[in-house]
Amino acid sequence: MAGPVVGVIANPVSARDIRRVIAHAGSLQVTDRANIVLRVLAGLAAAGVGTVVMMPENAGIRRHVTRAMVRAANVGEARFPDLEFLEMKVTGEAADSATAARMMRRMGVAAIVVLGGDGTHRVVVSECGNTPIAGVSTGTNNAFPETREPTITGLAVGLAVSGLVPAAAAFVDNKQLEVSINERREIALVDVTIVRERYVGSRAIWKADGFRELFVTFGEPGGIGMSSVVGLLAPVKRCSPFGRRVIFDRPETAPFRLQAPIAPGLVEPVGIERIETIGVDTATRLTVPAGAICLDGEREVTFSEKDDVCVTLRDAAFRTIDVSACMAQAASNGWFVEPAGKLPIISQQGGHS
Amino acid sequence: MSNNPFPLSKEKLSQAYRTMRTIREFEERLHVDFARGDIPGFVHLYAGEEASAVGIMMHLNDNDRIASTHRGHGHCIAKGVDVKEMMAEIYGKTTGACRGKGGSMHIADLSKGMMGANGILGAGAPLICGAALAAQKLGHGGVGISFVGDGASNQGTFLESLNLAAVWNLPAIFVVENNGYAESTSVDWAVASDSYVDRATGFGLPGITVDGTDFFAVYEAAGELIRRAREGGGPSLLECKMVRFHGHFEGDAQTYRAKGELEDIRANKDCIKFFQARVREAGVLSANEFEKIDDEVARLIDEAVAEAKAAALPSARDLLTDVYVAY
Repeated sequence: MAGPVVGVIANPVSARDIRRVIAHAGSLQVTDRANIVLRVLAGLAAAGVGTVVMMPENAGIRRHVTRAMVRAANVGEARFPDLEFLEMKVTGEAADSATAARMMRRMGVAAIVVLGGDGTHRVVVSECGNTPIAGVSTGTNNAFPETREPTITGLAVGLAVSGLVPAAAAFVDNKQLEVSINERREIALVDVTIVRERYVGSRAIWKADGFRELFVTFGEPGGIGMSSVVGLLAPVKRCSPFGRRVIFDRPETAPFRLQAPIAPGLVEPVGIERIETIGVDTATRLTVPAGAICLDGEREVTFSEKDDVCVTLRDAAFRTIDVSACMAQAASNGWFVEPAGKLPIISQQGGHS
Repeated sequence: MSNNPFPLSKEKLSQAYRTMRTIREFEERLHVDFARGDIPGFVHLYAGEEASAVGIMMHLNDNDRIASTHRGHGHCIAKGVDVKEMMAEIYGKTTGACRGKGGSMHIADLSKGMMGANGILGAGAPLICGAALAAQKLGHGGVGISFVGDGASNQGTFLESLNLAAVWNLPAIFVVENNGYAESTSVDWAVASDSYVDRATGFGLPGITVDGTDFFAVYEAAGELIRRAREGGGPSLLECKMVRFHGHFEGDAQTYRAKGELEDIRANKDCIKFFQARVREAGVLSANEFEKIDDEVARLIDEAVAEAKAAALPSARDLLTDVYVAY
């Protein structure tokens, strides 16, 4: 393979949970996901990426993508890079994303494009190491991945991995939360919520009277999901060297109540006891003895009085591609212009500006 | 209650476990007795899939109707059909739920809202549209639940029923029990889009996927869908991803499975083991309490088999009775 190789992870099992019913979240169909992949591939090819490796699945994305690429090849179009699928066992579960990310890291891909919401991105980051990722928001809760046209994400990733954009501009460091439950270690990219219920069940969280604690890496005023609580009370930027912790109280007895968009379609009153700033690398013990730990909005692990649980904010934990910065460099350098360079702009009064 | 972290009381948890264990014992006993040649006809076993039937049926009452599949024993037991009458039916005896004339694939008990197991793949879905329409018109708050496997979800009847339920806003829930195989054909080879949620979306009703080996995931999701339907929110689809511990039918050599697959799913995907571990770990039911239920269930199945064997076969005079049933 010549030139940088890019990985693509599009897991059809994301965005299929109960939030489609309890909160009217979206159901992005398999054909839509395949079309997004094709748009990413078109962007990557236009930016010079010759080879892409993709996570295999059997739900229909691969079938639809392959169909479009075969047709393009039949008519001699060169719109897509060469596409290979990883040789891995398909389980049809979220674990496939982790397996694919691990394999892509080991084979040294230059970047991974991830289709999904906060949950899928978390799974990929847990295995991708220092490999930069670029997110395309197709999940249920999309606080972490930006909403953007996938063609542009493909173009920007191509520019970043080709080295055209200097690494300092192309890649951004991100914080993450590390949760230790005895010897076990989990991560979250945006938020860790502690809830009273002590079972995983259907995973989603939506019963505000069960909320106990919240930790966030960042919280933006326009964000969705649990991090919106911080976003609306005391916002924290993705790049700020600290995070926040919120101690909840029952909405009816709390000193403060906040109407928070805790999930797509769910604006609920949450009771706030207090909010704190948390520093980097400082382990925080929970105030509640038992419950469930929710990572980026989904119940994942239960704990009881017998377990030792700590939450720690880590800085520079993984890298993402700054799509806006890459595209800005392309515009200012005229990389998409032939012949390369900047086109003079003619003022309305005549003459050159 | 304060030490119980689950959304069900201790009594309800005991009931859920007893029902799952009853299905498992019933099926494992049939597996042995069928191989010995004791049982006429065909049986398709539900072992391994218990969390789906029980997690859903825990929310239902006798006003709610279900339509089952060829793999229907678990649905029947979870919906409250008498276990001894079921066993007698499978043995083809006059004491059976259908006087011994239906056998495994036609067990029904309308008094319990069980409209029948069904030998025709995908045939339950239109029936449940009728039941849901009746519930809607009578206004008693009942719901209709249709079960299909991943294979039968390709049948026109199923897809037409999704359309009808959406058009009429019926209180119907379509449960796709995806055990990965349509008889012997992997779902990957037989279903154009493996996402059943997509199929629901295509007809304008919401769909969700849950881990069908996790009783609590099924219970919680089914509870929301059923409540939604009772409150006038209309139809929906629930995909339960699960495993089956036996072949498509008894006697199936299962050459389509990967080497070691059966051992792996029995060791690592057993919904009853998961349930026991979680509930015991939380200290809600003790090992002794589980064992006591196991013993009682084993005795019940022993009695059911003994009574079924001892009962009379239908005679030639019975041939033309009970042929038609008024719904």
